[in-house]
Amino acid sequence: MPPRIHSQIIPNSLLSCRSSASQTSTHSSLPSPSCAPLSKLSCSRHSTPSAPHLPQQSSRSFSSTPTTQTRLRETMFQWLTTEGSELKSHIPGTTNYITDGRNRKKFGPEGLPGDSKPFPLNPHFKSERILSEELRNDIYQRVVVKKQSVRAVSTDTGVDMRRVAAVCRLVELENQWREQGKPLALPYARAVHEMVPTTKLQRDARLQRERPHEQINDLPAHRLTDAQIFYPVSESRQFTRVDAGRVFSAAPARLRGDDQGDQPWEVVRDLNLGERRIEAVGKGDGEQRVLQPADVRIPHPHLITLESERAANPDSLRDVWRAHEKRLKEGNEAEEKRKQRKQEARDRQVFRIQPKSSRFEFRIKDVVVSKETTGTDGRNAKAPGRRYGVPRSDRKKGQVKIPTHVLV
Amino acid sequence: MVVRIRLSRFGNKHQPFYNIVVAQARTARDSKPLEVIGTFNPLPQQPTNLSNEEAKSARPYKDIALDKARASYWLGVGAQPSDSVWRILSLAGLVQPKTHTPK
Repeated sequence: MPPRIHSQIIPNSLLSCRSSASQTSTHSSLPSPSCAPLSKLSCSRHSTPSAPHLPQQSSRSFSSTPTTQTRLRETMFQWLTTEGSELKSHIPGTTNYITDGRNRKKFGPEGLPGDSKPFPLNPHFKSERILSEELRNDIYQRVVVKKQSVRAVSTDTGVDMRRVAAVCRLVELENQWREQGKPLALPYARAVHEMVPTTKLQRDARLQRERPHEQINDLPAHRLTDAQIFYPVSESRQFTRVDAGRVFSAAPARLRGDDQGDQPWEVVRDLNLGERRIEAVGKGDGEQRVLQPADVRIPHPHLITLESERAANPDSLRDVWRAHEKRLKEGNEAEEKRKQRKQEARDRQVFRIQPKSSRFEFRIKDVVVSKETTGTDGRNAKAPGRRYGVPRSDRKKGQVKIPTHVLV
Repeated sequence: MVVRIRLSRFGNKHQPFYNIVVAQARTARDSKPLEVIGTFNPLPQQPTNLSNEEAKSARPYKDIALDKARASYWLGVGAQPSDSVWRILSLAGLVQPKTHTPK
């Protein structure tokens, strides 16, 4: 059968695969702002960007299809010559989002601080800030060289304590790599710092505090608070967060005189010093400590006192800050003491020997073999050693062998 | 019969782990002992969480767990440690270290 000759218009799809590269690129680059670089390419091929909708007879000589999407193409080229032209070359050290240009037009050359939405049609997407190189190095200097506490640096820079610790570790690693002469991915780092917004290091300490990098006092929800408890309380009684914690951990209610009215930071300091103990409820394996109020559990309880004092004495802010630093120092000393006590307790339990004849150290831990630890049948899990007649459960189903969380 | 303080092998292939046990001398190595008084892990562990300076001088360590009171009781009633347990007990300061005499 001879090929049928169509009287209709020849379909464009067949042509597009045979036609020149310039035409394919024109087709693929739909006038959406997101593929601006591609559109720019095609724009330069067409001789007149000011009148781009002119029929391109030379490149479509075999097609009788009228050029489609002319209006969209027209708006695209219009955008490229006006608003899009600003995005053609970016300012070094800053992001080059479509929204940046509009921001600059609205709020001046610095743009709106904290407003970093790369997709204008999705205002809910915010690209999170990362630490700038200067701020990162400053954090390292303060913690490692000046020996400031992680807590104080976190408060001053508005960076989470875990992130401060991570910065110190990573900068230390980077310094090691530099010493060893390992290559660093500096162009990559530079590119990333231009792709996402960064938190700059401010000269003024106050400005740094007012523009924090992230929320530093966040607290994950405690598992004990998952339960919804209906707990009737008389109207005359003051029911505080302390009481709520006791209810959640099923502890008996406080007596009336128990409340000492201590500030949260004082509670934490006393706990660290060992002058105060958290009450425990339950017996045996079910024993648990009473849930403390969120004020005590947050990473920076001393900020509560600072804020209340700032509100109370707006005229003598200098004194307020001085008192705050004093409290911070006191808290740090208490924390150091706690660490020291813990280390001493660990050293008491483990006896270390380094014999001259051996290249190893031997750590001898004291254990107790008694009726309490071995149990009556000798199979209690508290007894030292692998147990007899008790199969190990590591081959059972559902045994998680990898760590599921990291203690920080 | 002689009561010995000796090692009894647990753990898997290439992963030895020993219980320090008090047992009758003529029973099998891994049979149920009179008493388990500790453990010995012969695989050296790398110390972690050290500063750069500490890491330079740190030695790999071997873990021993031992109930000293029970060990000295069994020694007092005439239990005989095996050579390897003798070494462990001498590290803990319970017996005099054996002097090696080459033949």
